[in-house]
Amino acid sequence: MSRPARLVLFLVAAAGVAALLVVAFLDLPPFGSPFHPYRDRAVAAAVAHATANVVGSVTFDQRGLDTLVEETILLGSVAGAAALLRPSKEERENTTVPEGGRVLEATKLTGYLLLPVTLLVGIDVVVHGHLTPGGGFQGGVLLGTAVHLLYLTGHYRALDRVRPLPVFDSGEALGAAAFAALGIAGIIAAGAFLGNILPFGTFGELLSAGTVPVFNIAVGVEVASGVIVLLAKFLEQALRVQREAVS
Amino acid sequence: MVPSADPAATHLAPLAFTVPIIVACLLLALGRRLPRWAVDGLATTTAAAVAGIDVLLLMAARDGRVVTWAGGWTPVDGTTVGIALVADPLGVGAALIAAILMLCALVFSWRYFDSAEAHLHALMLLFLAGMTGFVLTGDLFNMFVFFELMGAVAYALTGFKIEDPTSVHGALSFGVVNSLGAYLTLCGIGILYARTGELGLAQLAVALRGNPPEALLVTAFVLVLTGWLVKAAMVPFHFWTADAEAVAPTPVCLLFSGIMVALGVYGTFRVYHVVFAPVLPAPGVQCLFLVFGAVTAVVGAVMCFAQRHLKRLLAYSTIAHVGLFLLAFGTLDAAGTEGGALYVAGHAGIKSALFLMSGVILNRYGSVDEIDLHGRGRHAVLLPWLMPLAGLALAGLPPFGLGMGKAVAEEAVATAGGWWAVAVFVLVSAATGGAVIRAALRIYRGTGRAPEASPPGTEETSGTDEEAEVSGLLQRVPLTMLVPIVVLLLGALALGVVPGVSEAFHAAASRFTDGAGYVARTLGAPAPLPAPTAPSGWTLSGVALSLLSSAMALAFALAALHHDRLPATLRAAARPVAPVLRGVRALHSGHVGDYVAWLFVGVAVLGAFLAAGAL
Repeated sequence: MSRPARLVLFLVAAAGVAALLVVAFLDLPPFGSPFHPYRDRAVAAAVAHATANVVGSVTFDQRGLDTLVEETILLGSVAGAAALLRPSKEERENTTVPEGGRVLEATKLTGYLLLPVTLLVGIDVVVHGHLTPGGGFQGGVLLGTAVHLLYLTGHYRALDRVRPLPVFDSGEALGAAAFAALGIAGIIAAGAFLGNILPFGTFGELLSAGTVPVFNIAVGVEVASGVIVLLAKFLEQALRVQREAVS
Repeated sequence: MVPSADPAATHLAPLAFTVPIIVACLLLALGRRLPRWAVDGLATTTAAAVAGIDVLLLMAARDGRVVTWAGGWTPVDGTTVGIALVADPLGVGAALIAAILMLCALVFSWRYFDSAEAHLHALMLLFLAGMTGFVLTGDLFNMFVFFELMGAVAYALTGFKIEDPTSVHGALSFGVVNSLGAYLTLCGIGILYARTGELGLAQLAVALRGNPPEALLVTAFVLVLTGWLVKAAMVPFHFWTADAEAVAPTPVCLLFSGIMVALGVYGTFRVYHVVFAPVLPAPGVQCLFLVFGAVTAVVGAVMCFAQRHLKRLLAYSTIAHVGLFLLAFGTLDAAGTEGGALYVAGHAGIKSALFLMSGVILNRYGSVDEIDLHGRGRHAVLLPWLMPLAGLALAGLPPFGLGMGKAVAEEAVATAGGWWAVAVFVLVSAATGGAVIRAALRIYRGTGRAPEASPPGTEETSGTDEEAEVSGLLQRVPLTMLVPIVVLLLGALALGVVPGVSEAFHAAASRFTDGAGYVARTLGAPAPLPAPTAPSGWTLSGVALSLLSSAMALAFALAALHHDRLPATLRAAARPVAPVLRGVRALHSGHVGDYVAWLFVGVAVLGAFLAAGAL
């Protein structure tokens, strides 16, 4: 198809799809209406399990199965990206990495100052996932990015030293495995897959919400490791791998 | 009927996808330290274990459905915040097919040269987990996440041969088109949730009960179906299929063609029967699938017959068969569903065996180009017999299970749509079977004229550039590649000859089409049994039609091989076909922008079609 033909075809079809969407939206309950049957039930269920962050209760307790599969998607995506980014027959990996260009002192300083802060915030967001907004996914991404502040300060070698890839490779897989194993522990302890098997504790305390904080930590480990592995594979492909000249 | 009394059975469904996830994690964590045989052994054992779990679950679900509430959130007064897994015989049967095909694929890949530190095996197990969860869950959003799991690993598996630039291209087309379909599905789920506040299939059905067929339902149905139908490779959502299956590793192709596309069909009709059957008028939906099924079948068959690249040929034949699945399931009754399910099961055996044969050919002769390989297999021992046999079975040769499914489906569509749908069944099966037989005779017997150098600038895709998947070409076919082929063919044969198969499929189909029973059983209410209907199985007319399509397949193959010896009148009659074929071929441009435009066309047409029927 020529470019204009494709564009015309797409626009005509997209107009049809837009019409479908508009007529459907007209049948929806009006914005801001009090009709929220799932919210009403979910809040009650979260409070019953002493989970202050209702979103955390929905993701790790009420609909934990969705989250199990979602973190498996992340695991599969990282493994898939690693498989696709592996050096091919025509490529070879350099053992030495060219040091980056000059970095502003101000950038270096900011990087060094922010590294511990970001790590702390990341841990905080993971650990308090059942109390305040946040959780394993969000905190894990923070932790993963924190390490890469070292790269922004211009030290790929320093980054290379603080993140032994095999450790994080395993960390990611073991975090995901821990989630699934907790699901099976639910069968053994409570007769229900992914059941909330720990004591619920006092609403609002650090030790509350039963298994929700444990799930948060498992996901935090997996996501942090996954982000580090994923970025490492892309950095390696960009910085280390060279295509051999085709003779 | 009282809910199942055996609590142990309710733990089987979550284990069926959790076990492969945990083993995949172990392979990813330890893969680089394990020897290759341990990786192969662990992955293969896991697939076998999943198949075992599926068999136990199938036995437990035989007389109804096994419902498992994840997290123990059993409904109180019919409402809950949790997710149900609802295992009914048809869903578990699909999971079992997926596990068996995975087992065959993993055994076949023992000789596969590069597993990238067990990444291949881990991704395959995650793929199995995704497929299994998709057919066991009873929650629309949960279906979507399992669907995404299937997708994410499938894109990586498609592009696994990173040395080959076309493999990246195939994976990219697959990823873009499928992700777009998934977004539209998510939009549909969002609309349904905004309207009802529910995500469970059974809960949605309850919330929509008594609703008039309004625009919102039409839009939501079309959007939810889009993702499933992209996976099912229905025209015009099918463009990614041949691009992806041409380049994916053989064991992956087996799973794509054997079961993944059929799962798209499963999702479509599961959502229809449970959620939408009471609120959208059946005649409009039937008509929709009759039309789209027939178009898919014909486009697939024409493109299939026009290929010389063996894996593309098989991929287009899968598209053609998906069209026939849609025709059968589209009758929306138990008889058509029984025929469709049998057809899917029989097709899984035959098509998977054929893909493995194409893998053997690639690894033996370094090419999958039918013309280029003319006579190259003259000295082979077993495959010169097995491949034409599989071609005949693909066309419906009795007593293979695929033929029985075809016979049952033909009878059901004749009742629902008239004689022309039967004609589509016979012609499309004959064309796809004929294409396989033609390729087999050319490669293994050297039938037809030896190839001349093809003129430059032809629009055909040849299969000479495919990279072999073993280190160095095979001198003989190893047992690990031969045994899965034979097992798959024998399985497809057993489906057609073992007594009781038709009855079991009919019972499964009756459950599948009984949406009210599904809803009641899931939410813990007593479910009335559906009125029993008679299973069909082999009939005299079914055997006759299957023999006819097999004979036509052979005739098509011979006519294609000896087209220069055909009478002049016949050749003159075939001449007007050429420009049409060129046009259809030109639409399959390989440009992902075209595919996206067609996807939107498909959604708009589906919507207009359904709105005209329902509103």
